[in-house]
Amino acid sequence: MLNKTIVKLAIPLAASALALTACGGDSGSGDGAVKIAFQGPLSGDNVALGENMQNGVKLAIDQANAKGDLDFKLEYVAGDDQGLPDKATAAAQKIIDDESVAAVVGPAFSGPTNTSSPLYAESGLVTVSPSATNPLLTDKENGFTSFLRGVPNDNMQGAGMATYYAKKLKAKKVYLIDDKTDYGVGLATVAEKGLKDAGITVVKKSVPQKTPDYSATAKDVVNSKADALIYAGYYQDLAPFAKKLKDAGYKGAGISGDGSNDMKFVELAGDAAENWFLTCPCTDATVEAGTKKFADDYQKEFGRAPGTYSAEAYDITNMIIAEIKKAGADVEREALRDALAKASYKGLTKTFSFGENGEFKGTDVYLYQVKGGKIGYQGNINELAG
Amino acid sequence: MSLQEFWDYLVLGVMLGSLYAVIAIGYTLVYGVLQLINFAHSEVFMLGAYGSLIVLQLVNPGDNPTAVASIGFVALAMAGSALFGGVTAYGLEKVAYRPLRRRGAPRLIFLITAIGASFFLYNLAGKLFGRDPLPLPEMYDNHNVFTIFGAGVNITQLLQFATAVVMMIGLDLVVNRTKLGKGIRAVAQDAEVAGLMGVDIDKVISRTFIIGGVLGGVAGFLFANLNQVSYTMGFIPGITAFAAAVVGGIGNIRGAMFGGILIGIVETMTVPLLGDEWRSVSAMVVLILVLMFRPMGILGERVGRAA
Repeated sequence: MLNKTIVKLAIPLAASALALTACGGDSGSGDGAVKIAFQGPLSGDNVALGENMQNGVKLAIDQANAKGDLDFKLEYVAGDDQGLPDKATAAAQKIIDDESVAAVVGPAFSGPTNTSSPLYAESGLVTVSPSATNPLLTDKENGFTSFLRGVPNDNMQGAGMATYYAKKLKAKKVYLIDDKTDYGVGLATVAEKGLKDAGITVVKKSVPQKTPDYSATAKDVVNSKADALIYAGYYQDLAPFAKKLKDAGYKGAGISGDGSNDMKFVELAGDAAENWFLTCPCTDATVEAGTKKFADDYQKEFGRAPGTYSAEAYDITNMIIAEIKKAGADVEREALRDALAKASYKGLTKTFSFGENGEFKGTDVYLYQVKGGKIGYQGNINELAG
Repeated sequence: MSLQEFWDYLVLGVMLGSLYAVIAIGYTLVYGVLQLINFAHSEVFMLGAYGSLIVLQLVNPGDNPTAVASIGFVALAMAGSALFGGVTAYGLEKVAYRPLRRRGAPRLIFLITAIGASFFLYNLAGKLFGRDPLPLPEMYDNHNVFTIFGAGVNITQLLQFATAVVMMIGLDLVVNRTKLGKGIRAVAQDAEVAGLMGVDIDKVISRTFIIGGVLGGVAGFLFANLNQVSYTMGFIPGITAFAAAVVGGIGNIRGAMFGGILIGIVETMTVPLLGDEWRSVSAMVVLILVLMFRPMGILGERVGRAA
């Protein structure tokens, strides 16, 4: 009896699993279409951040096609690296092998950028990342010749956090945590330097991602008598940690970077997210005047407000489209790369131009704070710190 | 570390350890009757958490439920997780292990099947429930209820510890005092002879999986209540609990409880003494030390003998 029931249940389950996998496989190439790829986490724990950007890229491509002044058709290609360095090489290779891909928006995360950039460098395919902020990525030694950074690096976010704590909150002792990822360690190192330069005592700890229980860590923060906390990592770890901090009775300030700047953090942490500061080299598309129309279009297309880096991904895609338009649909990968490296493009969020080794020119970091279950936009962090 | 801090971390360690203990029992029970390390047990744990989430989304606790309602929601969530955990474990045994057992497959095949089943289940959960972590709805207003040695204990921790203790005592009674328990012990000692004596081996094994699954599922709920629900949440607690089961003596139920608590305390104490990044390392060092000096685990090996 039960045997049959199990089988009855198992067959549709298995069939649907197969059907779902099959969906991922179709990527029919159009005739003479120029493709723009996006590489980032489109599954896995950080999918929310990846989708924010993917939607921005898609919107830009759709609008460019709809406008009708291109003599070629643009297509979108997805490259899912799950945000993991070891998955990134396969995702990158798949994109590179598709010869009609002219440029890549991404990789979204620093770790995957580090592992996939040698492949891109070799192929000459240009990658412009809206969000890979680890400072070392533009180190000359790496030879990531195809990597352009479309965002101020962690030095700016870490330095901004330190400035804000030193000048605005007048913190005496800061407990600084990184999550042992490339991103977290990079951000924490810079913040530590900034805090120490300002004469603030720093307790620096590494807490690996996916720690099963943050209550001991939270207790350690309280026992250290620190009056402020920096968490350099992603929201899915910060959320349970913030809950434990609240349980442990931590009353000080808390700040985290763009890896946690997502509504998911507030949803997961609930009340415990209240009053947390979040930084981002990104502005809030729904608040800033220049991006209002974009936010409306985005809302109409995807049924929700743009998230972290949606507008930046949109800008970068438009920058790439503009360069392809100038050079023509049959532009060589290397030629497009060199053109982009020299280009300057005024987007909705900021002006994109690149310095040495593809480093972003510009330094602005913005501060947000969770208030009443929403991530409220505060403004430019350096101006706020005064 | 001051004395007060020591007590604080000890209490936290015992709390965490009680969870590991409940998960470890699932590994040890199955090992007892089948000599199989059921690596898919971490997925039973994970699906138990989703079970409680699904139930809570159906009943929706809303804001500020009354005390009585809170108890009701907790009970419902727990029932949901127990159901999911039990059904998953039962299904695993039926689909993944029983056919192998019938054909007398070598041990290694069981192990590989277990790992395969684990991969299948967590990816399936990712497809079905989404790959974003999800919060477990709040069922009560969490605050400190009492202090022990000066360390505050809040409702979540109390719930976690009390449930774990009740389940462990209940299990101990089932294994030592009931007919089913006698069957489990008999199969663990010698399956073939137990069969000759009229014990229905298939039934005993199947029920052993269900018991382990219910415990694992409820542990999943308790863990989700501490953190959040995600399709990958089973892996690290699963591996840690497996280490705990081995430390205590794989196949020995009281050993699993002891090992779980020990590993919980060691992991938690590591945080102030060495730093968070050494947590897993110190747990594994304990495992290696135990295996070096007492390869059968601290309390010895078999369900049949020790329980």
